[in-house]
Amino acid sequence: MTGDDHHDHKHCLEMFEKLSEYIDGELDHATCAKIEEHANNCVACFSCMETLKRTVALCKNVKDQPIPQEFSKKLQEIIRKVVPIS
Amino acid sequence: MTTEKNPTPQQIKDKDFDLIQAINSGEVDKFQDLVKRYEAKLYNFSLRMCRDPSDAEDMIQDTFLNVFRYLKNFRYETKFKNWLYKVAASTCFKKRRKSKFAPDKELSLEEFLPNDEAEKPDHVPQWALMPLDKLLNEELAGVINKTIITLPKKYRMVILLRDIEGFSTTESAQILNLSPSNVKVRLHRARLYLREKLKGYFENDR
Repeated sequence: MTGDDHHDHKHCLEMFEKLSEYIDGELDHATCAKIEEHANNCVACFSCMETLKRTVALCKNVKDQPIPQEFSKKLQEIIRKVVPIS
Repeated sequence: MTTEKNPTPQQIKDKDFDLIQAINSGEVDKFQDLVKRYEAKLYNFSLRMCRDPSDAEDMIQDTFLNVFRYLKNFRYETKFKNWLYKVAASTCFKKRRKSKFAPDKELSLEEFLPNDEAEKPDHVPQWALMPLDKLLNEELAGVINKTIITLPKKYRMVILLRDIEGFSTTESAQILNLSPSNVKVRLHRARLYLREKLKGYFENDR
């Protein structure tokens, strides 16, 4: 893929399968090192890794909407009907 | 040899412990405080699960009513928040409403494999490199939310728990009664699906 003699398409697939675990820090040190070595030699895999990392980061930073006041009041009313007052 | 029968599991004393103790000791009106504490989080979770706001509202109501019904049985073996999401997930799955936006199909890893040689990128796209705070605006947040809703439910639930709600793999597995490896498989496919849609958004749709 890069013209590198050491490049092997099998490594691309192996890395592709483990990318999420790599991003989440769920792999052992040796596997991480292998992935990093491969990514440093394969632009396509490096790009795949960076775009997936960015996808995860975006998800983690999407802000919540405030709950509509009207619905919050409605919910209180419903709970009040069910929950007996002590 | 001595064996301990039914050892008492360790109780998790999280920030909700005292409030739940009070409710279960008879101060049931304090249940409203528990609802207030989690209604906004659950509202967003439900919206992302259901798409339709009225379905989301039904899901929240049913979840809190189920929580009230079963709170006496809560044994503090997990954080209350985790149990709440377990009830919410179960409530959502029981609805079993088919969605035309997100049919219950399997996502295979193969469909997300990078394209053939000719289409492989020779650089990292700009959207993966620019500062996150410059990239993530209201429009993009909307695209992410709308894309998540098109994921089949079992993948959507996992990505919501892991990447939006911030539960760990182990916690998500407990909430969904899945093995941790199953959670990882579903999460990876859900992320790859979202990545493909974001790529499309940045390359073509804007």
